[in-house]
Amino acid sequence: MAFAALAVFVAALPAFISDVKAQQFAYVGIYLIALLGLNILTGYTGQISLGHGAFMAIGGYTTVILMVGNEQFGGSITGGVRDVWTIPAAGLVAGLVGLAFGLPALRLSGLYLALATFAVAVAMPSAIKRFDSFTGGGTGVNLFGKPELTGGLTGVDLLGRHLSFNLWLYYLCWSIALVAFAVAWLVLRGRTGRAFRAVRDSETAAISSGISLARYKTLAFGISAAYAGVAGSLFAIANTYVNPDTFPVLLSIELLIGIVVGGLGRLSGLVFGAYVIAFFRLYWAQGEDLGSLLPHRVIEETHKPGGPAIVYGVFLILLMFVLPSGVAGLFRSIGAALTRRR
Amino acid sequence: MRKPAVIVLAAAVLAALAALPGALASSSARSSDPGITSTTILLGGTAPLTGPAAAYASVARGAKAYFDYVNSKGGVAHRKIQYKYLDDGYNPALTVQDVRQLVEQDKVFSIFNTLGTEVNLSVRDYLNANKVPQLFAASGATTFGRDTAQYPWTIGFQPSYQAEGFLLGQFLAKTKKKGKVAVLFQNDDYGKDLLGGLKRGLQRSKVKVVAAQPYDVTAADVSSQVAKLKASGANVFAIFATPKFAIQAYVFAGRLGWRPAVINNAVSAASNIMVLASEGGKNKTVNGTVALNFLKDPSDVRWKKDPGMKLYRSIMARFAKGANVADVYHVYGMAVAYETVSLFKRMGANPTRAGLIAKARSMNDPSNPFLLPGVAVKTGPGDGFPIQQGQLQRWTNGHWVPFGGIWTSKKL
Amino acid sequence: MPLAAFADVMQQIVSGLASGGIYASLALALVLIHRSTGVINFAQGEMATLCTYVAWTLTVNHGWNYWPAAVVTLVFAFFFGVATHRVVIRPVERGDVLRIVIVTIGLLIAINGFVTWEWSGEQRQLRSPFPSTTWDVGGVVISAQDIGTIAVSLGMVALLWLFFRFTKVGLALRAAAVNPEEARLVGIRVTWMLALGWGLAATLGAVAGMLTAPSLGLDPNMMAPVLIYAFAAAVLGGIDSPFGAVVGGLLVGVLVNVVSYLSQYRGFGWFTEELRLPLALAIILVVLLVRPSGLFGRPQVRRV
Repeated sequence: MAFAALAVFVAALPAFISDVKAQQFAYVGIYLIALLGLNILTGYTGQISLGHGAFMAIGGYTTVILMVGNEQFGGSITGGVRDVWTIPAAGLVAGLVGLAFGLPALRLSGLYLALATFAVAVAMPSAIKRFDSFTGGGTGVNLFGKPELTGGLTGVDLLGRHLSFNLWLYYLCWSIALVAFAVAWLVLRGRTGRAFRAVRDSETAAISSGISLARYKTLAFGISAAYAGVAGSLFAIANTYVNPDTFPVLLSIELLIGIVVGGLGRLSGLVFGAYVIAFFRLYWAQGEDLGSLLPHRVIEETHKPGGPAIVYGVFLILLMFVLPSGVAGLFRSIGAALTRRR
Repeated sequence: MRKPAVIVLAAAVLAALAALPGALASSSARSSDPGITSTTILLGGTAPLTGPAAAYASVARGAKAYFDYVNSKGGVAHRKIQYKYLDDGYNPALTVQDVRQLVEQDKVFSIFNTLGTEVNLSVRDYLNANKVPQLFAASGATTFGRDTAQYPWTIGFQPSYQAEGFLLGQFLAKTKKKGKVAVLFQNDDYGKDLLGGLKRGLQRSKVKVVAAQPYDVTAADVSSQVAKLKASGANVFAIFATPKFAIQAYVFAGRLGWRPAVINNAVSAASNIMVLASEGGKNKTVNGTVALNFLKDPSDVRWKKDPGMKLYRSIMARFAKGANVADVYHVYGMAVAYETVSLFKRMGANPTRAGLIAKARSMNDPSNPFLLPGVAVKTGPGDGFPIQQGQLQRWTNGHWVPFGGIWTSKKL
Repeated sequence: MPLAAFADVMQQIVSGLASGGIYASLALALVLIHRSTGVINFAQGEMATLCTYVAWTLTVNHGWNYWPAAVVTLVFAFFFGVATHRVVIRPVERGDVLRIVIVTIGLLIAINGFVTWEWSGEQRQLRSPFPSTTWDVGGVVISAQDIGTIAVSLGMVALLWLFFRFTKVGLALRAAAVNPEEARLVGIRVTWMLALGWGLAATLGAVAGMLTAPSLGLDPNMMAPVLIYAFAAAVLGGIDSPFGAVVGGLLVGVLVNVVSYLSQYRGFGWFTEELRLPLALAIILVVLLVRPSGLFGRPQVRRV
């Protein structure tokens, strides 16, 4: 099973990579969780969302406010909750908001839903700033060094081993990601999953087989939002700082890119999608090279500001031409080709 | 899932990892502190190379050009200074990742010249906890100079926005007698600090702020705010906005036929910005604008024969080909790089991180070639603000004309 | 005093109309693309920015006169739009919606990157084609720029209407958009019609950019907030109605300013500057939920 392979791989990886790289891989886990959720909504239920960065923001801020409270901005929440215990709360809050959003979203579909969710993503940073006595506004909130943050200063002692903060983040994010993966797989293979797929394939057929569109569309929104909330919570913990600009519109766009690149509706490609998002962030910052595969002049030119963006955009377009079913589609074709040979 | 797909998945992920440069743990020859070898010093930082603040990227480019120049002359104490800066697009989430990479993977000696208030805040606790210097944070937020006890490893450079607002307020109090001030300000710490400083500077005078209109960075245009400010009947217009919105403020004031006395803030008062705001000379609202300045402006004819600016121009020509020489942020970058080189000179053969910060907290340089004559870079016990001075200037006939002496802000 | 307050509100409305004119001009481009190809082009703003930089290069870098530069820019925009459609959009046009969305987003990212790469993020200015005359009407100042922007937007609507109604090409474009299969049967080269739609939209976008830059300032992200307002305008007016786009733009501009003006009074105190953009977004959400076809659009019927 792919799951077992992934689990083994994740457990073994830190032995081969540096501490810093482990932390960068933790982000792959975070994006994977968000993608798993978005995939349920868009891949399996056919509802486009360009706004899941907003649900990540809700999860992230839930975590932050529970951890350090908002009394210093004028709010009334004391905080003091340890970071790991805020994670389920973040998922719950984001999930509830997702359910609430799912109800009016029933009336929208296709491009209109994309536009509406895009509007939510754009509005979220401004809304966070507007309620600055609750959220800390544009100045942001820092978590590093706070007692509620596990391992920030000294690392963590777990099961007899000492983990640096980076490794702790890695294992935290990936263990939750693996759990999230398993849960998604279980949900999707059951009746709920079949109902989701029925809604995607033909709404009218679904209705005539007695599937309540309202129930399953709203449920899909709620579940995907909860996943995004958990991802957002881990995102805040890993960054140790939040402010409205840490959840920009581009984040929502990146998530959609991730599931399309990975392969809609297929869990296997999502790992790759998450990796692409994480990798391109670092590449954009010019902290990562495309490797020495390309001639020096080309690398120099693409490292001028704006260069990585051009590469990213062109890559996306070409990918849509060449691999319409994403990377998972490629895996399936290769896999099918290999099985056929036997 | 079918077995072949599993195999392919695993193989693909492994292949992708193998292509990851730097995937294997690297070890570097360490001396006492990271980032120092016998021939190099490695400084790291982030800058908004893309995104909404991309106009300020020149701060990093100017600094790099200066370091390249110093390196071409043999470096400092036989070491060449490498300055690696990454793009954070003004997104603190990227800053955090970039800085961690710089500190833990690239093992820089110090974080340097990172631009932006929130981006610096996002990494301040991490850097202080790990005892990595956060040198010359490019932000005028007061906290970087004031909170030295809590954050000893962090220091800013430019005059604080509160100090600037205060000095402008004092100027108005002295010269306007009975003025009514309307303020356009960005609704973040930068704008609010300037406004707060202005109000404090006006405290005991007959000049009052009668209207203050905020705008958000997501605004398309500030025409609505400027109209409201004009409607307040004020005769002084204070522009506490970043360049894009400052230019808009002038343009819309011009279109509304409003000709108040204008004061502008240093971030948006560079000659090239003022020229754009004057709309090719058509917009008369720019005339008579007063602003506080601490850098030498490349477009100022006063510095045509000035050795410091001659050096600036030659460095730009040699090490920053194609960059806009008139962009004053390059000058800022060189000014801060110059002081950094001084710090390394003072440390001599064995630079340490602790030594760097200690020297940065005891600077006394009255003659930085890129700062206005009379503006000193000075820190000491109880004084965490390297630059607290400026000179007032008035925009006359398309260029800045200074007046009065050097103003110094008292401790804030 | 009430008279002064009246003048203040009127001034806010005039400013709102002027800003709205800018939103309207970009909304026109969005509407044209959606109407002729069914695509929501997330890259419309960036395409407009690129064309504006072309105008800037010609006038400021090479010293051309404004009008020749403007004409060349519009011609460039047209071919740029056509090329974009043929090269980038056509391969994915008939796929599912999500692929097209990703492709236009990829375009957005790539074009924005290209503009930064080629011209850097420095702040620049483009001069306005309109004189700087202003008129003071009872305390309310109206500028030639304001009127000019609105007039150009309305003029473009009129031109579009004439084009669609009275020219063969326009008719063919409409046919290709409404029913491509039957249009092909009648001999219309549908693919070229779609490309033409993109070319025209890109030209409209270039006009929008050249109207926007003198007021908002020219930088790579100039159109980002304008795009959002333009979406609000297009949705409010009816995503297939050019006239609706202009009316929608003016309404959005005025509404935001009026609410902002009222925020000093009780009942509206909740409105602060951070909410300007979200207000426009709320318009999108409300319209989509209550009356998706907007003010002037035709309600869509879902066929089983």
